[in-house]
Amino acid sequence: MSGAATRFRETLSSEELREQFEALAADWKERSGYLSNTRQMAMLEPYQRIIGLGRPAVPLILKELQREPNFWFWALEAITGEDPVPPDTNGVVDRMVDAWLEWGRRRQLV
Amino acid sequence: MPDHHFPWLTAANSRITSPADHRYNCLAWAANDSTHWWQPGPKFHWPTPADPDADRIEDLIAAFAAVGFVPCGPGDLEPGFERIALYADAAGRYTHAARQLPTGTWTSKLGIAEDIEHDTPDNIAGGIYGDVFGFMRRPVSTAT
Repeated sequence: MSGAATRFRETLSSEELREQFEALAADWKERSGYLSNTRQMAMLEPYQRIIGLGRPAVPLILKELQREPNFWFWALEAITGEDPVPPDTNGVVDRMVDAWLEWGRRRQLV
Repeated sequence: MPDHHFPWLTAANSRITSPADHRYNCLAWAANDSTHWWQPGPKFHWPTPADPDADRIEDLIAAFAAVGFVPCGPGDLEPGFERIALYADAAGRYTHAARQLPTGTWTSKLGIAEDIEHDTPDNIAGGIYGDVFGFMRRPVSTAT
C-alpha cells in the first residue's frame, strides 16, 4: 500500500461531474446498446454509478436525453423520486422522452 | 460491431439495413411492430399480463403466442407463414428474437441500435444473446 494517503472529497466540481458523467454514459451505451430489456440495461455498473452521482447529474442526464434519446428514465426516477411519464404510455418511447424533457423544462433544467 | 458481443457475425453473413432507432426493440421487430418497445411491466408494451420481472424464455413464448405464434421446428422457409427464432442465455432468460424474411434470410433489431439482415439464426448467437432456444410461426394473414 502506498504511504501517500489520498483525501476523499465529498463533492465534485461541475467540470469533474460532467467528465465523470460523460465517461460513465459512454461506457453504459457501449455495454447496453444491444440489450432489449431496460431493466437489464439499468442494472449495469456504469448506469448504477450515474444514479450514484445524485441530483447534480439530473441536468446532464436530461441534456443527454434531449441530444440522443435512450433509457434514462429509471435513473431520473431513482434520483428525483418523481415520475412524469403517463401510465398509458404502452411502450411509445418518445412519449417517455417528451414527458421527462417537459418535466425538465418546467424546472429550467434543460 | 464488437465481436465479443457477436462472435459469429461477420461482414459476409450480415448487412445493416436501418439506422439506429430507440423507438422499438428486437421483440417488437420480430412481431413486425416498429412503434413500441416490448417489455413486461407498466408503461411498456407486452401482449399478455406479466410481472415486470418476467424474463424467462417461457414468458417470451407466452407473449408471442398471444399474437398468434405457435412453436415449430427450424425447418425451411414456408410460404404463407412468418417464422421467428427465440434466443435465451444459459440461465433460461430470454435475450432476443429474430424474424425470417420472405427470402429465407433473417432480420434482427439489435437493442437500441440498427436492424440487420443475417443469413442464419446462429449468426448472432454465441455471445450477448446466448443461443437459439426455439422457433415459432404464424400465418402471414394474422401478422400485426
